[in-house]
Amino acid sequence: MATDSSSSVSDHVVSRGTVEDPIFEITDTSVTYDGETRVLEDVNVSIDRHEILGIVGESGSGKSMFASALLDAIPDPGVLTGDIRYHPPDGPPVDLLGLTDEELRQFRWEEVSMVFQGAMSSFNPTMKIGAHFEETLKAHDKRVSEGLEFARELLENLYLEPERVLDSYPHELSGGMQQRALIALSMVLDPEVLVMDEPTAALDLLMQRSILTLLDRLQRKYDLTIVFITHDLPLVASLADRMAIIYAFQFAEIGPRDEIIGNAAHPYTRALLNATPNVDAPLDEMQPIEGEGPAPVSVPSGCRFEPRCPLATEECRTTDPPLAAVDRDRTTHRSACHHPATAREEIQLNFDEANDELESASPVEPSEPAVETRAEQTSETPLLSLDDVAVHFTEEQGLTERFTKDPTVVRAVDGVSLDIHEQDLVCLLGESGCGKTTLGKTLIGLQRPTDGSIEYRGQDIWEAKDGDGEIPYDEIRSALQIIHQDPGSALNPNRRIADILSESLRHTHPNIGRNERRRRMHSLLERIGMAPAEEFLDRYPHQLSGGEKQRVALARALLMNPDAILADEAISAVDVSLRIEIMDLMLELQSEFETSFLFVSHDLSNARYFAEHGDGRIAVMYLGEIVEIGSAERLIHDPRHPYTEVLRWATPDLELDSMGAGDPPLREVDVPDPIDPPSGCRFHTRCPVAREACREQHPDLRRIDDGDGRVACFREDPNHEYWDSEPVDGAVEQPEEFTGN
Amino acid sequence: MSTEPDSAAEGIDWRSESSNVEMSRRDQLSELYEQKIRVPAVVAWSDDRTRLGILILSVYLFMALVDVLGLWRDPSPNQADRFLRPFENMQYPLGTTNSGVDLLALIIDSTPFILLMVLAGGVWATTLAVAVGTLSGYKGGTVDTVITTISDFFMAIPGLPLVIVLAIALSPENPILLGVVLTINYWAGLGRSIRSQVLSIREASYVEASRTMGTSTPRIIIKDVLPNIMPYVMVNFVLAARYTIFAAVGLYFIGVLPYSGQNWGVTLSNAYYQGGLFSMQALHWLLVPIIAIVGLAFGLILLSQGMDRIFNPRVRTRLTGESESVTEDTDASTTEMI
Ligand code: SF4
Ligand code: SF4
Repeated sequence: MATDSSSSVSDHVVSRGTVEDPIFEITDTSVTYDGETRVLEDVNVSIDRHEILGIVGESGSGKSMFASALLDAIPDPGVLTGDIRYHPPDGPPVDLLGLTDEELRQFRWEEVSMVFQGAMSSFNPTMKIGAHFEETLKAHDKRVSEGLEFARELLENLYLEPERVLDSYPHELSGGMQQRALIALSMVLDPEVLVMDEPTAALDLLMQRSILTLLDRLQRKYDLTIVFITHDLPLVASLADRMAIIYAFQFAEIGPRDEIIGNAAHPYTRALLNATPNVDAPLDEMQPIEGEGPAPVSVPSGCRFEPRCPLATEECRTTDPPLAAVDRDRTTHRSACHHPATAREEIQLNFDEANDELESASPVEPSEPAVETRAEQTSETPLLSLDDVAVHFTEEQGLTERFTKDPTVVRAVDGVSLDIHEQDLVCLLGESGCGKTTLGKTLIGLQRPTDGSIEYRGQDIWEAKDGDGEIPYDEIRSALQIIHQDPGSALNPNRRIADILSESLRHTHPNIGRNERRRRMHSLLERIGMAPAEEFLDRYPHQLSGGEKQRVALARALLMNPDAILADEAISAVDVSLRIEIMDLMLELQSEFETSFLFVSHDLSNARYFAEHGDGRIAVMYLGEIVEIGSAERLIHDPRHPYTEVLRWATPDLELDSMGAGDPPLREVDVPDPIDPPSGCRFHTRCPVAREACREQHPDLRRIDDGDGRVACFREDPNHEYWDSEPVDGAVEQPEEFTGN
Repeated sequence: MSTEPDSAAEGIDWRSESSNVEMSRRDQLSELYEQKIRVPAVVAWSDDRTRLGILILSVYLFMALVDVLGLWRDPSPNQADRFLRPFENMQYPLGTTNSGVDLLALIIDSTPFILLMVLAGGVWATTLAVAVGTLSGYKGGTVDTVITTISDFFMAIPGLPLVIVLAIALSPENPILLGVVLTINYWAGLGRSIRSQVLSIREASYVEASRTMGTSTPRIIIKDVLPNIMPYVMVNFVLAARYTIFAAVGLYFIGVLPYSGQNWGVTLSNAYYQGGLFSMQALHWLLVPIIAIVGLAFGLILLSQGMDRIFNPRVRTRLTGESESVTEDTDASTTEMI
């Protein structure tokens, strides 16, 4: 058989054979600290010219080390060993480790350039963006005027106004603009390869996806090779040609994108795919991966994944599996596992089935307005009720400005009415800066509205605070609790967990003794999966992991016996593989505790997970207003507002057919300034189907005729003059016609 | 899923009604001892510099004690031969002055005075600064504007001339009053930097969480805000104390401050004017008070370096033999901030 010969070929040879025209060949490359701690081990990979290679790994898996290795830029005192060969488009290959410092300096940026996470720290805050471009050009002895010309072209390709951006200081741009400016800066010397390490992690989903589509275009236009490193598997899947999974400092699997997503052979990859909250996956099948990746000092001697692998055998414990071809006849897909066939059989991918299910269930069919009955037709007083609430912030002004200028008013929330019922669940969804957190804080009485009223069981909260209410303010205060986004700052670093939790108990049970207090905390900690509780109680916050801190924050809120809890992006800082676990915990506790939950999120798939599991609603916010509200079911399968459709588009998806499909259904990438929101429908500057009428008139939230919930768009009203007016510049008649610009 | 009461819970779980078992007094005390005394002591003692600082300061405390209990003779003229050198006559180990006063007696005699003054200066400057800084930082609004304006005013007054004028006007002979006068406008600058730290702590999520629970403002300040600025405050307490000695000695030296008896500053001044700088015979007269002053300042500085460790939970847990930190970040040292 023809395959016999190839199967005897060693792995290293296989690795070279996989790509035809490599730009990078990495052989036996390791990074070592202190002579023994290996944070990257024996990596053998080739990177093809003009490909986009997506590399996925959890935090602490060595993925950033790989990025640094490609530029020979390992932070001290790390030692890089092995062989990294770079093939320029013309000329002989370059041995990266043999370059002098000066050659290396030229190599970086001119041949291979890098984009990091967090543009803010990459820019010097005291220099204009334009100056950064000039400095870079000068440092590499390039003509500044020509270089700036190219920079303008790049910025324009990234949907930025070149003159305005070049003339701004970094802080004057939004996070998404900064990150795009940084990408332009890294490309200004026209490099061959772009290495990107979590370049979008700090941005919200819509911006991430928009940047990815722009990257895709840039890659084709300038014939780039892109190495994109991230923890977010579905995100990079939409962009990459090939994908690699790093686990515990080694490549666990590498292969063409479609193979990795649809036919992954490594148990870890398959588990990762199943752990991803995904709009299409049936909910009960999302599973967290148990345990955590090993630390560099305690890597298992056999297969690295063995302690967490459900399929581990004796062989796995003793022999480290090589990164070898999965199927004998196809050498492009390689995986480091002894039992790839079993893995494919045993670990079912949940989104596969989802696709079948979706087809059978017709999405357009009006769903039962189950939520409606509960949320809108109950006659009892709602738990919380917002009536035409507005929150406007006046920015601080200097003394001279106070006389010369009108104060700048940021309209964070405008004209929102919303009822939250007992045991209700509402997700506030939107881009950053849309006012969702402000609205959430208004709902739990932390933010005083500048206009409108907020009532708790029929009692105006702020009247109660001023002393004339029927329900005492203290009672309202303890009934509404919060869990913050950043677990790092949610707990006082100077107090032990026991002290932190006691604080809640002081309010609910002021007179109990120390032993009883401890027992209560003990039993709650065990309930939320923090065992041994005794030990946790005596720890300080810095001794807990992010997920554990978030659990403590949850426990602290629960001990107050609240009626409603606001979870402000409470899981976005937690590692992907743990998110589902924490979401499940919150949902379980919600029903056990009979509280209402308000989730603030920018991620439709997380919001959907909550809303669908907890039988709640999703409220989509845009520039301070609620533009659509309804059950998760309806919102996902039958979005009515063009903006909801955009969010739907931005949600990563593991379905191969729809992957990488098209541009965002938006006319503008950036959100307008909330200081001066657009007239009429606030979305009209970006809406793909905006018409003249939308510029002048403001749509109100109206009930959807053939579905649950409400939406604020003229397209819902068949008799509106919208239908007779002309589409605005760049807009189209029907959403389907929109192809981007 | 049902809640399983944990085995040790004896039927109490996190949702049961409160029982009436009060916490016993003993328990409370032993917990207090553990948290407030034993752990900080272990942490402080573990650092060489702090240990040295503590030892040096205990020497001063010992001298003060000796004086209070009257274990050493009082200084008086002609109690011994003039210009005895140190260790020449072991009855007067540090030698004598030009009028035959025992130098050791002089130093010991004024130790309680100096320590009281230093303590008063440090306490006054830092307490006022903390009060003002936390109030204006946490409250914000008009309170903040008023306080900031007042402290701006105080910062604009040149410190030394103000102290001199006050010293002449008040002629403070009481050590505590003297300490306060010397650091009269020390609080303004310190209060400013405390204010800015409180401003950022106020925005921290855990403070908001406490507010959401309905915790009272004083309690939030005591439990959430103060512990986090404590290392900075302690370091500044020591700096203020050091400033007080130097200022006092300086003013005694130039003769602005009134004195009834002799103290370190006065001794120094006398020695200088009697030619201590130019004749070998009187050199020790000059050196002894200098060493006493520098030693105290040095001890205080060493102690301050340990202070931020005491308040750092990472160091605390490491040293009291508890489980290792999950995140091994480098300790953010507050001494670097100043
Ligand atoms: S080699 Fe064994 S333990 Fe490792 S991933 Fe494959 S089946 Fe699991
Ligand atoms: S009202 Fe007009 S601009 Fe607004 S979302 Fe609807 S179609 Fe778009």
